[in-house]
Amino acid sequence: MDIKSPFTTPASGRSIPVTPAPVGPTLIDIDHVDFFYGASQALHDINLKIEEKKVTAFIGPSGCGKSTLLRCLNRMNDLIDGTRVANGQIKIRGIDIYDRSVDVIELRKRVGMVFQKSNPFPKSIYENITYGLRLQGRSSKSDLDAVVEKSLRGAALWDEVKDRLHTSGLGLSGGQQQRLCIARAIAVEPEVILMDEPCSALDPIATVKVEELIQELRTKFTIVIVTHNMQQAARCSDKTAFFYMGKLIEFADTRAIFMNPANAQTEAYVSGRFG
Amino acid sequence: METPRPTSQSDFLVNKKRIRVFGLSFDDAIKIFFGGNAVVSIIVLALITYFLFQEGIGFFGQNHRNLLTYRQAGLEYVDFIRTQESGHIALTRYLSDLRLRQYNHYIAEQKMSPAAANEALAKFDEFAAQYGDAVEPIRGMVSDLTEQATAIKTKFLIAEDKKTERQQLLVAGKIDEAAAVKIEAVDFAAELHLLTGILPVYKQTSAEFAKKLDAALAVAPKLSTPELMVRLDRFNQLTHDYLATFPATARSLETWDYTRAVPWYQAISAFLFGREWLTASFWQDWYGIVPLLMGSVMVSLVALVIAVPLGVGAAIYINQIASAQEQRIIKPSIEFISAFPSVVLGFFGIAVLGQSLRWLSQQSWLAWVPGFPFSERLNILTAGCLLALIAVPTIFTLAEDALQNVPKAFKEASFALGATRLQTIIKIVVPASLSGIISAVLLGLGRVIGETMVVLLCAGNRIAIPDFTAGLAVVTQPVHTMTGIIAQEMGEVVRGSIHYRALFVVGIVLFFLSLGINFIAQKIVRKYRISIG
Ligand SMILES: Nc1ncnc2c1ncn2[C@@H]1O[C@H](COP(=O)(O)OP(=O)(O)O)[C@@H](O)[C@H]1O
Ligand SMILES: [Mg+2]
Repeated sequence: MDIKSPFTTPASGRSIPVTPAPVGPTLIDIDHVDFFYGASQALHDINLKIEEKKVTAFIGPSGCGKSTLLRCLNRMNDLIDGTRVANGQIKIRGIDIYDRSVDVIELRKRVGMVFQKSNPFPKSIYENITYGLRLQGRSSKSDLDAVVEKSLRGAALWDEVKDRLHTSGLGLSGGQQQRLCIARAIAVEPEVILMDEPCSALDPIATVKVEELIQELRTKFTIVIVTHNMQQAARCSDKTAFFYMGKLIEFADTRAIFMNPANAQTEAYVSGRFG
Repeated sequence: METPRPTSQSDFLVNKKRIRVFGLSFDDAIKIFFGGNAVVSIIVLALITYFLFQEGIGFFGQNHRNLLTYRQAGLEYVDFIRTQESGHIALTRYLSDLRLRQYNHYIAEQKMSPAAANEALAKFDEFAAQYGDAVEPIRGMVSDLTEQATAIKTKFLIAEDKKTERQQLLVAGKIDEAAAVKIEAVDFAAELHLLTGILPVYKQTSAEFAKKLDAALAVAPKLSTPELMVRLDRFNQLTHDYLATFPATARSLETWDYTRAVPWYQAISAFLFGREWLTASFWQDWYGIVPLLMGSVMVSLVALVIAVPLGVGAAIYINQIASAQEQRIIKPSIEFISAFPSVVLGFFGIAVLGQSLRWLSQQSWLAWVPGFPFSERLNILTAGCLLALIAVPTIFTLAEDALQNVPKAFKEASFALGATRLQTIIKIVVPASLSGIISAVLLGLGRVIGETMVVLLCAGNRIAIPDFTAGLAVVTQPVHTMTGIIAQEMGEVVRGSIHYRALFVVGIVLFFLSLGINFIAQKIVRKYRISIG
């Protein structure tokens, strides 16, 4: 692959301009975090500031802790027995989300998530999108209808499914399912959307669609995306964090990471020499 | 001579070391072994089905003859009048209930002594006696007719027996002896003449009976509370309804004709819809499956009502909520229940559960529960509770499997949208596994409907359709079941008799019921696999 021009989409040949962004306000402050699965430490002293309304990409070889860190941000790791954040803090707008006073349910409403394998519920498209709203007790039909349309439009899926909102979400193609999951996540209007390798199970054309979608979503949401695919990180993100063996190796503007990495390991990884 | 080794180029493909027995390789033998097992089980199933049908199917012919005899020997005729008599019996029972209520009222509310209460009821007793005695002439008539009809039937059956005997002798080649067998043919027309001849007398007696009832009602004394008066009015109404049926009875008697054929389908419908299972009776045997079916259904229903919440609830708890430690303890415990031999559960039911339930029902603070207190310690409830114990492990295990099959991704998605654990269970996990849970319940039903030992020991074995007018209290009545009746009676019946064959037909019904339940359960499971994808 051609490392020198990582900002060109191979599929479309389009150039996505990435201006060296001015440093924006910090939304999520990951402060010296150690994380354990039982006795085994998966994250070592992670220190990272995620800026508001930016796309931050986590890259690194398999097993380096990208998903683990991502799932710390909405406390999904709480669901696994024996996990703990041993040291450090994760603050969102200055609030420590692991503090005892924090309501996890509320946190997860504000920090949405899209998974590696698309996972629509075995319900209709409409029910999939309104699920989160109904949890919050919203049940007026006009309200729900409006949100369904808005979310599906936001996920660039409206035109494809508007005539079959009440058919099963499992009947959609893989790419459509993943966009349905994105629509479901944005329906509850979170501030942050976490995406864990959202395109890894999709074909190239569906991948392009999701990437274009991410470009549109960045104006409204703060996005953190884990990816295996370095072009994807290069194309979609403003900032990139490179992890290796549970440690944050380098965190900088995406352009800098790919054009001019400061660290030798980063350089080796982005140029495809290992990983 | 040594065979010349083949020398062609392709020969290296043939494995010369392969061992062959009777021209079969090892692979072939394995295939035949497993294929053979499958074939054997199918053959066994087919043989069982064939055997059931072969033994059972003759029932319908025999039952048809049974019904025909019922008509030809005039039993049907007598039963018209007997029905009239039993209608009166039901009414007198209502009357004694009324007396008891009035008596209790006198004792409890008016603080009378028992003697005074009986004194106050003297008028009522007079009325009741007059009402009760009115039936005597009819009753006498029924008992005379019963004797006559029985005599005709016996004569006919003896003749039939002789016929078979002669037939057997003929088959054995003993022609002389066969000729010596005397067969007294029954002349139904002549015999029945005695029976039907009483019609004018009956009509007169019946009219007098009606008059006496009316007269008795006229002297009915007033009762002491409005509530009791309402009951007395109701009794008046019932008596009038009863009197209104008299003309119909007379008409049935007039139009009755012993030569009328019994349609063939009645042999089947009398079995499927027959409300009586009455065997070895001096009068007429009835093989109606309804009371047994109802018994089985009621006991199974009670079992499911108890076992479904327990089994499904435990499955949800274990699968979704419990810690690993709890899982390690609870799961094997529940599955261990199924290791109890059902006869041991039956002992337990008789000695402990039935006793305790009855004791519980007699506690005054529980008197508000429908059906409490009850005196039969073996009843639908006792058997149902024990069957629930048998159904719980099945339902639990299968429902837990169904829950386990719900992809973890659904749960994660739900949590990530801000759902609590309970919301996730109710809105995602249970709906996604619902068809699996339903089929678990159905298989639990299949398990209990076929269970024999527990119901035989604990259901009370009274062959009667439960009285549903009792509302929920119906569960405190004893019943008999399809499985129970087979186990109880199969050992005593003569092979090839109508009773023996009737039990086989009950077995066939049971077989198809279980087959149907399992079939539906499997259908549902298959659909559920597809819907989860
Ligand atoms: N549920 C878990 N229990 C124990 N260890 C885990 C679990 N999930 C991940 N790990 C370990 O944590 C490390 C980081 O995993 P992960 O965050 O999934 O990596 P990545 O997403 O970068 O491929 C790996 O060594 C992995 O084996
Ligand atoms: Mg991962």
